[in-house]
Amino acid sequence: MKRWIRACRRGIPASVVACVLVAILAVPAVSHAEDRLVVYSGRAERFIQPALDAFQAESGMTVQLLTADSTALINRLRLEGARTSADVLITNDAGTLERARELHLLRATPIPDLEDTIPDQFRAPDDSWIGLSGRIWVVVYNTTMVNPDAISSILDLGDPRWEGRIAIPNAGSVYLQTGVSVIREINGDEVTIRFLQGLKKNAGSFVYGKNRQIVAAVARGEVAAGLVNHYYISRHLAKHPEAPIAMQLTDQGDEGMGMILNAAGVGITAHTKHLAHAQALVRFLVASKGQRLFAHENKEYPLNPRVPAASELLPLHRFRVASVPLSHLAQLRDPTMTVIEDVGLR
Amino acid sequence: MLPLVYVTVAAVTTDLAVWRRLWTTRIPELLLNTLALSTGVAVIDLLLGVSLAWIVTRYRFPGSRTWEWVFILPLSIPSYVLAYTYTHLLKRGSTLELLWQSVAGPEATLVSPFSFAGAMLVLALNTFPFVYLLARSAFKNVNVSFEEAALTTGASRMTTFFRVSLPLIRPSLIAGLFLATLYVASDFGAVSLLRVQTFTYAVYQQMTGRFDNDAAACLSLVLVICACIFLFGERRFRRQSRFYQTTGRYRHPVPRPCTPLAALLMTGYLLIVFMAAFGLPGALLVQWTTEALVAGTLSSAFVGYVWNSVSLSGLTATAAIVCSIPLAYVASGRRTWASTVCVQGAYTGYVLPGPVAALAVLVVVLQLIPQLYGTRLILLLAYLVHFLPVAVQGMEATLQQITPNLEEAARSLGARPVRNFVSVTLPLVRGGLLSAWILVFVQCMKELPASLLLRPPGADTLAVRIWLEASEELYQLAAPPALLIVVMTIPVVLLLMYHDRHAL
Repeated sequence: MKRWIRACRRGIPASVVACVLVAILAVPAVSHAEDRLVVYSGRAERFIQPALDAFQAESGMTVQLLTADSTALINRLRLEGARTSADVLITNDAGTLERARELHLLRATPIPDLEDTIPDQFRAPDDSWIGLSGRIWVVVYNTTMVNPDAISSILDLGDPRWEGRIAIPNAGSVYLQTGVSVIREINGDEVTIRFLQGLKKNAGSFVYGKNRQIVAAVARGEVAAGLVNHYYISRHLAKHPEAPIAMQLTDQGDEGMGMILNAAGVGITAHTKHLAHAQALVRFLVASKGQRLFAHENKEYPLNPRVPAASELLPLHRFRVASVPLSHLAQLRDPTMTVIEDVGLR
Repeated sequence: MLPLVYVTVAAVTTDLAVWRRLWTTRIPELLLNTLALSTGVAVIDLLLGVSLAWIVTRYRFPGSRTWEWVFILPLSIPSYVLAYTYTHLLKRGSTLELLWQSVAGPEATLVSPFSFAGAMLVLALNTFPFVYLLARSAFKNVNVSFEEAALTTGASRMTTFFRVSLPLIRPSLIAGLFLATLYVASDFGAVSLLRVQTFTYAVYQQMTGRFDNDAAACLSLVLVICACIFLFGERRFRRQSRFYQTTGRYRHPVPRPCTPLAALLMTGYLLIVFMAAFGLPGALLVQWTTEALVAGTLSSAFVGYVWNSVSLSGLTATAAIVCSIPLAYVASGRRTWASTVCVQGAYTGYVLPGPVAALAVLVVVLQLIPQLYGTRLILLLAYLVHFLPVAVQGMEATLQQITPNLEEAARSLGARPVRNFVSVTLPLVRGGLLSAWILVFVQCMKELPASLLLRPPGADTLAVRIWLEASEELYQLAAPPALLIVVMTIPVVLLLMYHDRHAL
């Protein structure tokens, strides 16, 4: 040991020189290479990488991905201003994209033939962001414990008879926030607050940070039902085909508010220096190959109506979706957060 | 110091409504959680650390010398790595649970890793070496005459242990517990992966979940105030409880031999603790890494992550040493008002937990040099603010050992200050310089929150990759970088142990 230390001591000048070299290499000027595209993404890497890889192979461009929480990315874009190196923003929540648009972080970009690919209800009014894949917020239930007829509306889960029997996402979940926004918009604050108070009481300590845990808790029978995005059910069933879980289609019929749909989407940043390349990426993602790679990997609904959903999903046109446009989600979010915090959801 | 001021200003100028909202909804819960977690971990640490230290220092059985240094190894596993291996070890249907069910019946379940108890277990396994190390050296140095006196007056071994031995090493225990508690209160990696709401995690959530940093600054301020109260309390407590070795009849304790059965039992206990804190997680990492290598999932990008981590850490370590030399000079020299301010200012960076330090650097950079944001330099700056105290501390100790005579002699021979420094002081402190460099380097390799929050595109570090992959529970993908960090940290930890032994 002693000898080793002594040897190290002798190596100090060398190591200092090495460190200085490292210093010179480590801080290259932020390059704006022509064929490099920087994508800020709030989506799990494995659900976006296949699409990006295919795009890179097709176009010969290099895509550099920065993965972080969607809201953190918006904060970042705002702080970076015109200096940003980001060209494209992808998030799993249309509300965040709309917020980015309001903050002038996105640029309204004409994409040829957009009309033929993504319907307008899934786009920003000025096309500064475009929905790519849809996810619906559903009730997952344990088939051995629950008669699905008992749940005709998501709001039923606020009922006292579910006490100790449901699992919910925590207050930080964007899916919960979107869900609550839609419920507020259609039913008003009073109904929503009663629902959330019931939800809080019924869920007790079954509050999870990840949808996957909720589905797992339902599958194990720890709770009878839970609120999740639909694809987590497919994902669990793919791993455990015999799991006693199913999805309940709620709020249908003429009286119902419809299913709550949110979308992952893409926008081009206001300060991009590679507009043509960024447009090429967006065009790729809305066309059929990109749609398949983007949506199917995660069992989401491709929003391009010509691209069929994965075979195990109930087709999008077979059920009713709540009528709140995606672009409204942003302005609903802040009051929704206040409601959620007032009720004291964790 | 500057970052701290900025956080304070940001927090104080925040709208009262934000404060009220935080006060009614978050702060009490966070305070309670953080406090309860720290206390729980401290209790477990105390039990583990003291019992282990007592066994290895006071009994002689096959392998007892090896066990003595083995328990420092858990320090080489970053908390988030331990947390993520435990999400696997404790999950439903795991081997560990089946094993437990065969003992305790089919209905038995283990604690969920994603719970308060889970986080407490993980953090305790991660921090008990602090208490263990200090207790060990205290037990080795305590004057056995006191214990023998107790025994001869008819006290049982049990009574002697609780009434004499333990009180004698109280200062060491307090110091160890203090380190562990500070570690828990500022830990981000484990609590964020296990999703337990503590202050550091809440600051991070506020920074990433809201569109402004006001709430984050408020929470940071509360945390910093708590940390300061804690630091102050610790200082006072230490000043009050000081023991002095009586000279003269001092004798070292001699380890007692013990019966084979006792030896077996003790080895079993040591083995269980070791496996839980290091053996099992380490084995899992090796297994997953092999699987990843065999499956070929390790992409070429991995080399890039290694390079990012190594270059950034190396750079920061060098910068920290360069900056720390004058500071340490000041600190080890005569105490003046100005020198105290300088040095204590540098120390504040260490009191700030990772996300808070990141927030502080972010706020300062945006105010003063916004061009830095989005480059690697901001990461470097954040690391530097956070880990400069580590370097200063290391350098201070070394510089204090140099007698001024040598420098004065050189000066009397006509050496100018610069020459004096280069050819007299520097060669003398090379060893300390190197260990300080390595310490900072390793801390930077492990750093998570600032890297997560501030990295520019394409600058993912190993720690960031571990966290991202582990959040998705992609165990095989997170393992190679984790293993690499652990392997790089082990020599450093052993080096510390080596210093520790010689400091005695």
